[in-house]
Amino acid sequence: MAAAAPPANPASITTLAVERSLASRKRDWLGQVFQVVLLLSLILSLAIIVFLLSNVLGGAWRVWTDRGTDFLTEGGSRQAEAAGVWQGIRGTLTLVGFVVLLAFPIGIASAIYLEEYAPDNTLTKFINVNIRNLTGVPSVVYGLLGLAVFVRTFGLDRNDEGGLTGGKSVISAGLTLAVLVLPIVIITSAEAIRAVPRSIREAGYGVGASRWEVTRMLVLPSAAPGILTGTVLAISRAMGEAAPILLIGANTGFFSSGNQSFVEQLQGTFTALPAVIFGWARETSEFRDVTAAAIFVLLVITVLANGTAVWLRNRFEKQW
Amino acid sequence: MKKRVFVALPLALMLVASACGDDDDDDTSATTAPAVETTTGASAATVTSGAAATTAPPAATTAPGSDAPDYSALEGEIVVTGSSTVEPISALVAEAFDGLTGGNVAVSVDGPGTSDGFKAFCAGEADIADASRAIKDEEVTACADGGVEFAELAVAIDGLSVITSPDNAVECLNYADLYALIGPESEGVENWADAQALATELGSTTTLPDLRLTITAPGEESGTFDSFYELALKKIGDARAEEGLAPLDGNDKPVKTRADYNSSPNDNVIIEGIGGEEGSLGWVGFAFADENRDTVKLLGVDGVGDGTCVVPDATTIADGSYPLARTLYIYVNTVKAAENPALQAFVDYYLSDDGIANVEAADYVPLPADQLDATRSAWVG
Repeated sequence: MAAAAPPANPASITTLAVERSLASRKRDWLGQVFQVVLLLSLILSLAIIVFLLSNVLGGAWRVWTDRGTDFLTEGGSRQAEAAGVWQGIRGTLTLVGFVVLLAFPIGIASAIYLEEYAPDNTLTKFINVNIRNLTGVPSVVYGLLGLAVFVRTFGLDRNDEGGLTGGKSVISAGLTLAVLVLPIVIITSAEAIRAVPRSIREAGYGVGASRWEVTRMLVLPSAAPGILTGTVLAISRAMGEAAPILLIGANTGFFSSGNQSFVEQLQGTFTALPAVIFGWARETSEFRDVTAAAIFVLLVITVLANGTAVWLRNRFEKQW
Repeated sequence: MKKRVFVALPLALMLVASACGDDDDDDTSATTAPAVETTTGASAATVTSGAAATTAPPAATTAPGSDAPDYSALEGEIVVTGSSTVEPISALVAEAFDGLTGGNVAVSVDGPGTSDGFKAFCAGEADIADASRAIKDEEVTACADGGVEFAELAVAIDGLSVITSPDNAVECLNYADLYALIGPESEGVENWADAQALATELGSTTTLPDLRLTITAPGEESGTFDSFYELALKKIGDARAEEGLAPLDGNDKPVKTRADYNSSPNDNVIIEGIGGEEGSLGWVGFAFADENRDTVKLLGVDGVGDGTCVVPDATTIADGSYPLARTLYIYVNTVKAAENPALQAFVDYYLSDDGIANVEAADYVPLPADQLDATRSAWVG
C-alpha cells in the first residue's frame, strides 16, 4: 500500500510508519477504533435506508401482487382498493416538463452570461451571492410566492374565464417549481462552466474565434456533463417537492378531467405524486399499502431520471 | 469533431426535455380515456346497476319528480370544496358519478376546511361547498355580495363516540367531566380521580374512579378532533379561558385540549389503545366505535348536565338526542345549477338512494328518512 501511494517520498513514509509501529502500540489501537467507528457509521446509514426501503417495498409488493399495473393506470379514489397513481404520475411529469422547458434554458443562459460575458465587478458579485442565497430559501416560501403571483395574480377565478394560469392549476405549480429550481440550475451550470480550463478558451481565441464561437464550440460542450448533473438534481428536486404544490392547491381528494381539452386540463385541477402520497398518508390504515406503493413509484421515477442523466453525462465525457 | 459535440449537447438537452415533455403530451391526450375507463371499471360494480335502475323507468313512464338525466350526455365542470369531514362522502359520490357519466364531466373534490370552502363558494369559485356546520351569518353576507344564491342540503350525521375499556365501570360522562379529564387544565393528570375536583367545581355530580388515566384519541389535524372539541369542550374551555383559569396559546386563543395524550391519526390504533387498558379514554367517529363494540365500551354522554345520559346508537344520533353529533351539509350554488345541467345532475345523484348510500360507505350516520325527504324537497323545490 505505502509503496503504491502517491506522496512525495514513499521511502520516508514507510520508514516513519515502521518506526512508529515499533515504538508504540497506542496508535495502532486508535487506528482500529477509528476504522470501527467509520464502519459503524456506514452500517447505521445503510440500516436506516434498508429499514425505510423494506417498509416501503413491503407495501408496494402487496399492492403489486394484488393489483398489478392497475395501480399505475387508475386515477385517485377514496377506496384504497381502487386508488391508483395515474393522475399523480401525469402531474409530476407535466411539472418536470415545465421545469425542463422553462428553468433549463433560462438557467443555463443566465449561467453562461454570468461566467462568460458579465464584467467582473461588484454588481456581478452581488448578483452571484444572491443567487447562491436563493438556493437556500425553503420551498414553502416559493410555494407562497407561487400562490401570490401565479395563482392569485395571473389566475383570475374561473368565472372570468381569462386567467392565464387558471388559478390552482398545473401551470401555476409548474411555474413555481421552475422558479424554485432556477437558482440551482444557474449555480451548478455556472460552476461547470467555470471548471472549463482557461487554456481551452485561450486556444480558441488564439485561432481567431469570437467570444460567441468560443462559448458555443468549446466552453459549452466541455461544460455539458456538469450542466447535465445540475439539471438532473433540479429535476429530482422538482419531482420530490410537496410543500409548494400543496400550497398552490394540488388536489388530495378526487377529481376527473372529463372531456376537457389539453389546455383546459393544464388550467384545471391537478395533482402530483408528492401530493397523492400526502393525501393517502392522512387516510385510514387501509391506505397504508397504496401509500407505500406510491412512494415506491416516485422513487423509481426519480432513480430513472437520475440514471438517464448519469448515462448522458458519461456519454458526453467520452466524446470530449 | 468539435462541431458534432456542439450539436449533440442541445440535442441531448432537448432529448431530456422532450422525453419528459412528450410523455406528458401523449399521456394527457392518449390517457384521458384509459384513466376514465378504469375509474368507470372500478365503480361500475356499484354504479351501473343504479344507473340502469334510474335511467330505465323514465323511458317507459315519465320520470317521477325529475327529468331523469342521460348521464352520458352531460358535459362541463363541477367543483366541490370545503370540509375535510364531508370530503369522503362527496369524493365517493363524485367517483360513482364519474363512472355514470363515462368521464365526460370534470369533477373535482377537495377538503381544505369548511371556512375555506365557503370563501371559495361565496366568491363563485366552487359550485358546491361541503360543510360540517351550518353557514354563518357573515358567510351568508359574503355569498350575497358575491351574487351567489345557494341551497342548504343536509346529507349526513357525524356522530362521535367517547370510548373506554369494557372493564371500566364508568357508564356516563358529562361535558364537565370531559373537560376535567381532557381539557387543557388537566395537563399532567394521570388518574381519573385527580380530575374529580375540577369536574365537581364545574358542576358535575359524577364520581370518577380511582384508575390510571390513559387518553388515546385523534390528533389536532383530524376533523374528529375538531368536532369533539367544538361539541364537547369548547363552551367550557372558552368560559374558563375568559376567566383566566385556562391557558391561552401563542395567538391568545384558548388551548383546546391537554397536550399530553397519545394521539394517532389511525382509528385502529386508537381502538387498540382504548381496549388494552382499563382506565383508557378517547373518542372516535361513531361508525368506527360501533364496529368495535367487542373491544371498547361506548360511553353515554350527558349533554345538559342534569344526569340524563344518552348512549349513542343509530336512533339517538338520528333523532338528535345524543349530544355529540352534528349534521353535515352540502351547499349548492343554485344559479350555477340552473345553468349547468351537469351540476344539477350531480346533486340529483348525490341525493338519490345510490348517491346517499355513500354516507354509510364513508362511515357516517345516514339521515333519518324524514330529514332526507326534507333535504330532497329542499333541493327539488
